[in-house]
Amino acid sequence: MRNGLRQSMAWLHTWSGLVVGWVLFAVFLTGTASYYKPEISRWMQPELRREASLGPDVLARAADLAVAHLQAHAAGARTWFITLPQPDRPLLELFWRTRPGTPPGRAVLDPRTGEPAALRETKGGEFLYRFHFELNLPPLWGRWIVGGCAMIMLVALVSGVVTHRRIFADFFTLRRDKSAQRGWLDAHNVTGVLALPFHLMITYTGVVTLALMYMPWGVTAAYRGDAQAYFAETGQITQPRPPAGRPGTLAPVGPMVRQAAATIPGPLERLTVANPRDANATVVAVFEEPHGLSHEHPQVAFDGATGAVVEVRQGGLRPAAKTFTTMVGLHEAHFAGAALRVLFFLCGLMGTAMVATGLVLWTVARLPRSGQAPGPGWRLVHGLNVGTVAGLPAAVAAYFLANRLLPPDLAGRAEWEVWAFFSTWLATTLAAFLPPPRQAWSGALVLAAALYLAVPVADVLTAAAAWDDPAWFLGFDAAIIALAACLAIIARKVARYEAPRRARRDAAGRPAPGAPPAAPEPALHAAPGPRGEGADARLGRA
Amino acid sequence: MNAGALLLNLGLSFLGLGALCLSLARHHGAVLRSSPRPARVLALRAAGWSLIGLSLAAAIRLEGGSFGPVQWLGSLVGAGLVLIAALSYRPRALPWMLLLAAAASLAAPALAMSRPAF
Repeated sequence: MRNGLRQSMAWLHTWSGLVVGWVLFAVFLTGTASYYKPEISRWMQPELRREASLGPDVLARAADLAVAHLQAHAAGARTWFITLPQPDRPLLELFWRTRPGTPPGRAVLDPRTGEPAALRETKGGEFLYRFHFELNLPPLWGRWIVGGCAMIMLVALVSGVVTHRRIFADFFTLRRDKSAQRGWLDAHNVTGVLALPFHLMITYTGVVTLALMYMPWGVTAAYRGDAQAYFAETGQITQPRPPAGRPGTLAPVGPMVRQAAATIPGPLERLTVANPRDANATVVAVFEEPHGLSHEHPQVAFDGATGAVVEVRQGGLRPAAKTFTTMVGLHEAHFAGAALRVLFFLCGLMGTAMVATGLVLWTVARLPRSGQAPGPGWRLVHGLNVGTVAGLPAAVAAYFLANRLLPPDLAGRAEWEVWAFFSTWLATTLAAFLPPPRQAWSGALVLAAALYLAVPVADVLTAAAAWDDPAWFLGFDAAIIALAACLAIIARKVARYEAPRRARRDAAGRPAPGAPPAAPEPALHAAPGPRGEGADARLGRA
Repeated sequence: MNAGALLLNLGLSFLGLGALCLSLARHHGAVLRSSPRPARVLALRAAGWSLIGLSLAAAIRLEGGSFGPVQWLGSLVGAGLVLIAALSYRPRALPWMLLLAAAASLAAPALAMSRPAF
């Protein structure tokens, strides 16, 4: 059946996947790394000393110090956000918003003294996490772009399943002895099909996480656009209290912290103070999520002026809200213990690999014939592929490396780290257009491997004296070395690859082994197979 | 999380997927150097799906109705990845790996029962 459903779907899959592939690769890679966000943040601040446990008294004292700092430095702010110290991150992290349009303020304090913490300035794992859904753009722009790409990803997933008609027969098949195109297609199918439940779940729940932004009409119609009212009525936050318009004095927060800790078991995570200088000020104590799939934080709200409890919110969500919070919880996987987190991480890597193999497959399936120069479209896709698939991992390594090599007291240090990330990415992408395709791949992969290898070296040379738990830091470095080894193995495979004998059609046009390849060298020595395998293989046929 | 329950899920998933993969002529040939008879194909498929179902039942039983299915799917992906890597690089090692998975599945319940599940 020519031009039937399967052909249309194959076309849709190919082009929808290509258009958003580069963004999706970045989203998948940084999202997968974000499963280890707390670990990355800890590694990037080796000076941090962890505590065995922090009782309510320590938290109460820290909260009072935080409010004193905010009264002095952020008196005019609308809202203060105070992240309280936790045993594995004993810091007071302050964040405040003044009015729309002015940039928010931040401070990191030592919870014992209330003085600025003596730590190197870095965005840590938070940068990779936010990049995952905001791409370091203004938040609204980034979220729209990522959301649009995720929606197209759902299209690509469904059309991919329709296109692939031998799902069961090829479920376990990864042929390495056939043409390069066959191998790449098998790899694309295996990474896509094996973790398909994860891919569908993570893409769908990712869109759902920001669904209110993409589809605001329900809230516009029912709540006149007031999302806070919607969240409060569905039970996800405590009831907002509008400012009275009269000045007021904030009662001490220490007793509120003690009372909140006595009301709800479980670790207290942060405080939100709305309208701190108003007679109707509100203090909300937000707790860590209890163990469960659903992403919901128990909360206790206090009247800021009197210190009296106005609302306690714990569980009891209605089915629709529960569905939403469960989807967000599944996406974030905060519930996963160490072993299950490894499985989520593996699934994330397979998603990343699925996007990467799809992108490479596009170029392999459209290789110019030997002796012909590739067209501008092919060169563009190839260059962006190298710049993304090899360049982005290199950029992450450069980000880690900058964290160790930049002087600890450099002004604007956190921004310099981000600058290292983007300049490495941009430079790799631009450089990818210059050499012949195969050298571009192996060169970029060698660069990425070398950068990852340099990270633990820099760590041991510059930060070993600061480690509070050497075994933990060495474990992190070992994981980085494993990444470097994987990249080095791939680089070597790319450099040494020779197409299997039966897939070679035009051996005559090929340079002798060892000689530098001619200019339009095909990326991976894969000529279309003898039986016109090109079109068929692209459609998932054997 | 319960390490014994996860080990049980991984072992059962590997056995189940291994049986399903041996029911396909291509992989049966690569691993055992022969093609399977129709009766054996049927038996392998039945065993494979039953083991995967058993893995789901065990996950729900040990981890509860919300975490169980998540862990079950996760262990299927993990076991599948190892299986596919073995099939394309060391197909002849598969029988030994299946034996190992069977041993792990038999040992895991003892580990799972020794600590209370959530």
